[in-house]
Amino acid sequence: MAALSGGGLWRRGWLPALQLVRHGSKAVTRHWKAMHFQRQKLMAITEYLAPKPRIPERCLPTKKEVVEEDDGYVRLLRRQVVEAFRDNRMIVVCQYNPMSNEDVLLTRHYLRKHNIEVKFFLNEIVRPVLSQSKYKNLLPLFVGRNIVLVSPEAKAKEMLRVLKGVPQINLLGACIDDTILSKKGVEDFAKLPSLEASQGQTVGALALLPSQTCSLLQRGSVRLAALLDEYIRQLQAGAEATPGSPGGSPAKPEPSQSSEAH
Amino acid sequence: MWRQLGRSLAAREGPGSTVVPRAGLKKYVLPPDYSDVVLPEKPKLKFMEKVPAVPKVRREPRRLRDIRGPSREATEFTQGQYGILALGGGYLHWGHFEMMRLTIGRCMDPKTMFAVWRVPAPSKPVTRKSLGHRMGGGKGPIDHYVTAVKSGRLLVEVGGRCEFGEVKAFLTQVARKLPFPAAAVSRDTLQRMREEEEEKRLHNQNPWTFERIVTANMLGMRKYLSPYDLKFKGRYWGKFFLKHRV
Repeated sequence: MAALSGGGLWRRGWLPALQLVRHGSKAVTRHWKAMHFQRQKLMAITEYLAPKPRIPERCLPTKKEVVEEDDGYVRLLRRQVVEAFRDNRMIVVCQYNPMSNEDVLLTRHYLRKHNIEVKFFLNEIVRPVLSQSKYKNLLPLFVGRNIVLVSPEAKAKEMLRVLKGVPQINLLGACIDDTILSKKGVEDFAKLPSLEASQGQTVGALALLPSQTCSLLQRGSVRLAALLDEYIRQLQAGAEATPGSPGGSPAKPEPSQSSEAH
Repeated sequence: MWRQLGRSLAAREGPGSTVVPRAGLKKYVLPPDYSDVVLPEKPKLKFMEKVPAVPKVRREPRRLRDIRGPSREATEFTQGQYGILALGGGYLHWGHFEMMRLTIGRCMDPKTMFAVWRVPAPSKPVTRKSLGHRMGGGKGPIDHYVTAVKSGRLLVEVGGRCEFGEVKAFLTQVARKLPFPAAAVSRDTLQRMREEEEEKRLHNQNPWTFERIVTANMLGMRKYLSPYDLKFKGRYWGKFFLKHRV
């Protein structure tokens, strides 16, 4: 090409038939061709350099993972947790150890007979929900694999009876009527009589004192009235049996009897 | 701790015990919408002729420029969503076409996927002198035909009601057997590759770029470079694509 593009002097004698074709070395081969040394230098100089951050990454505070959980299923699960904690009076947190499916089914069945539901909540779901609710203090219980037994009634006794037969489920703690109870607390709670019975006892104990006071206050007057009645009867008996003197002797012990009765 | 406990319990129960169900957080992501996908009548790759159907064959020069530099055709997707991208120049002969056709046809599900060629049938003649022939005596007879492919060209497109994970395995298997570096790409990954390239080019911290030195002819560098280096800015060397350069 250089020969062809020379000065005008050269061009004068140029003939198309004499066009030279270069058959030099091919620029493109099937193998990697070694670069000229100068070109190698040039390539080494012009390498790509990645931009450096102004502050090294290890000096920055660790980034907290931004969890974008706008997943519909997660929201549904959270709502279920919220509903379970809102609608139930008794919430019992248990540790769950692996057990066969049949046992799980049976246990659930027995618990359901007492209107106690078994809920399998994931800790990933429960923890964020609880940390914002009033059940914050239950959070330490949600470690490892848990199940939650919930019931609209506080049937601790029946629940303990069912759980006694299932060693795989360990009671960790409970929240009954917005009161957090330990395992011991739940057992004590189960021993308590029912609310109606204890109410009756209280009412009885409360009614006892006024009735005693009332009876004590009325005692003197009642006794006086009894004595007077007895006296009148004696007088009547004396009037009817004026000739018979032994009417007073049988009447004598009666006042003492009446006084004992009071 | 709990996990270990559970494992030891399960181990103690031994064979015959039921499998411990493990709870996991499932994600119910909406499936992709394939309503606009129309499968062609023949979903598989068409058979490619070994020899072009031209009456008069002519031996041509090698024209090595047809595998050098970036491709200017078939760089974008047309029908499919996934494809094989050439990352270097080279020649595909009929054997490569058959390999691609058979492998893709065997691995794809013709009821949900389709595949189309993005390269033409072999048409460039390659000559060979016969075995034991003396040198000289002119150009030899045509041995076979090839298709020239430049870097950045899509060879095959695959589409249909499928995801990239389903087709990636066999597309990669095909790409490994090609005579030049190639990779399985989807529309997204191709787009991302190009964006990354652009981003690298814009945020290069090296003030001495190839283009700057060459255009300014610093230190008389042009003496050692070819006019193609002005054009390709040092990203191509012969038929090879230097993908780590900017």
